[in-house]
Amino acid sequence: MAALPAKLGVVVTAPLVLLARAVDPPLRWWQRMAGQGGMAAVFLLPNLAIFGVFVLFPLALNFVYSTTAGTDILLQGRSFVGGAQYARLLECRDYLDPLTCREDTFWTAAANTLVFVVLQVTMMVVVSTITALILNREIRARGFFRAVFFFPVLLSPVVVGLIWRWILQRQGLLNLVMVSLGLEPEVWLNDRTYAFAATIGVSVWAHMGFYTLILLAGLQAIPKDLYEAAEMDGTRPARVFWRITLPLLGPNLAVVLVLALIRGVQIFDEVYVLTGGGPGTSTLYLTQYIYEVGFASVLRNPGLAAAASILMGLVLVVLTLCQLWLSRRGEAKGAK
Amino acid sequence: MGRITLNDIRKRFGTTEVIHGVDLEVGEGELVVFVGPSGCGKSTLLRLIAGLDQPTSGTIEIDGRDVTRVSAADRGLAMVFQSYALYPHMTVQQNLSFGLQNTKMARDEVGRRVSEAARMLEIEPLLERRPTQLSGGQRQRVAIGRAIVREPAAFLLDEPLSNLDAELRVTMRAELAQLHDRLTTTMIYVTHDQVEAMTLADRIVVLRHGRIEQVATPLDLFNRPANLFVAGFIGAPNMNLFTATAQDGQAALPGGLAVPVPRNGPCTIGIRPQHLHPAEADASALEGRVTLVEALGTETVVHFRTADGTDVITVMAGQPGIRLGDTIRLAPDPGQIHLFDADGDRMDNNV
Ligand SMILES: Nc1ncnc2c1ncn2[C@@H]1O[C@H](COP(=O)(O)OP(=O)(O)O)[C@@H](O)[C@H]1O
Ligand SMILES: [Mg+2]
Repeated sequence: MAALPAKLGVVVTAPLVLLARAVDPPLRWWQRMAGQGGMAAVFLLPNLAIFGVFVLFPLALNFVYSTTAGTDILLQGRSFVGGAQYARLLECRDYLDPLTCREDTFWTAAANTLVFVVLQVTMMVVVSTITALILNREIRARGFFRAVFFFPVLLSPVVVGLIWRWILQRQGLLNLVMVSLGLEPEVWLNDRTYAFAATIGVSVWAHMGFYTLILLAGLQAIPKDLYEAAEMDGTRPARVFWRITLPLLGPNLAVVLVLALIRGVQIFDEVYVLTGGGPGTSTLYLTQYIYEVGFASVLRNPGLAAAASILMGLVLVVLTLCQLWLSRRGEAKGAK
Repeated sequence: MGRITLNDIRKRFGTTEVIHGVDLEVGEGELVVFVGPSGCGKSTLLRLIAGLDQPTSGTIEIDGRDVTRVSAADRGLAMVFQSYALYPHMTVQQNLSFGLQNTKMARDEVGRRVSEAARMLEIEPLLERRPTQLSGGQRQRVAIGRAIVREPAAFLLDEPLSNLDAELRVTMRAELAQLHDRLTTTMIYVTHDQVEAMTLADRIVVLRHGRIEQVATPLDLFNRPANLFVAGFIGAPNMNLFTATAQDGQAALPGGLAVPVPRNGPCTIGIRPQHLHPAEADASALEGRVTLVEALGTETVVHFRTADGTDVITVMAGQPGIRLGDTIRLAPDPGQIHLFDADGDRMDNNV
């Protein structure tokens, strides 16, 4: 029995061995030429090139676009306007009322995004923490439930949007159930409050599995005997949670918080499919605003969209710096 | 305070029973050590006493009160974990006071107990540090301090020194012994290290496969091991064991040495390496060629092989100048021969 897997192993690794033999001489030659330090650059270069072409270059290009005006998509057909696009976005008579701004949709989208992010992230952290706490206990069919909660993460956001539209639309599953129970059907996606709540609920449903997994890993990293020591001392469960579990879960919670914030600000696909930003502009978020201004509207304005995306990018940079600062602080505390 | 009684304790995990009916009485203020090879059920037994696990059957009493169904917190015991189990996000001070604050104890009292324990363990300068900022020995002290502040009826310690380096282990061992003398609280101490057991214990409980093999004072265990397992487990280097068949009240050791045996039949003769001495020139003796010499300075451990291929170990005082390949002739002290019957149980040769 043991001989077969061994032979199989040889067959599987043979091509790899051949490949390794083939690339070995040129790599050796390269190392002689470039030295130890230069070799690192050689290995990093391919990835760096891809990153440059698809991330850094577009970033710079986007900034250039944000300083131009016109409807033409090619740079040659566009005129340089300096900071005019930014000025247009930021021009308001009363900064407390989006409707007095020149680009009132931008401000509406920004305000919507702010409320969405605050509510969604709060809900995300609370729900995924509770789920992780439950899944961490010795419950029956634990593996099954872990899979169930993680499953939506594997779905494409568009599929998520479609599933929930199918459930929530006027002739959808939910109304069907309500009618069969003798209740009045409700126009869920055509009601400003319900639609807004739906975008929060659906995005939490779609992403919480990922955050639950991070928190579950954190919970499992807490040594069992800390809980046993607490048990010997007669610590009440609530006190165990607040004084032991929560502080030790802190680094994981910080990661979850910031990742959820960043992804919350970027929300687009599910919502676009589910509500399309409506009714009216009640679920219009920043990414959709940028997309519509830049590509989808009749009078498209790539310059304005580019400027808006740069402003949004700045917010994301600040959030990312917060994350780095939090994780550094966590490390420093552990090392002290 | 601190009398612990186990009555026919059994513990099953799933379908495998790991503790097979243990009866034990630990007296007030006694330091009892559970010793035995890894996996013999020492930790399990300790956790049953602590209340962290429930026995499948049997009862546990503390000071005459049946606590079998009483929660860990209400048994009035304190445990020191092998990993120390200090709360990493709390300072030493907070670690020491956390357990007391559960019990609505007055602040003054908490402070008094913490500072007294800190003084006793000489960790006062460390009170504001976190566990990660402490050395292994310092963490160990904090873990013990956390047990002391509870002023428990008994301390339960599960291999408390196993994470320390050899030198520190010796120091901490001595400190633990002093601490027990000072506190006079009952302690149950788990270890797989027989030296720790011998040096610390008032009484030693030798466990194997979830059963008690023998309960005795350290010297009784050394001088009168109840069976082959205890004989082989206690004492370093291990006791020399020779299998033989007794006839006409005599059993023969390799080399023709005859030992009186009360009963005929197969038996095992045990002689500690320390109890072999150079034989008279014409008397019968264990004779063999030296295969290994371990010179430790104060004593020398000599391994030799007899003509029939039996390996024997002896310990000689000082530096006797024996070399590899030498032939040596040794005879046991007549009063220091242990006899075991076919089941491995001790036979009394004095009878
Ligand atoms: N929670 C558990 N589940 C199943 N088996 C266990 C559990 N705890 C201990 N055991 C088994 O019980 C036996 C005794 O373990 P333990 O008391 O930890 O040994 P020791 O502390 O003497 O090394 C071992 O065979 C171990 O595998
Ligand atoms: Mg153990």
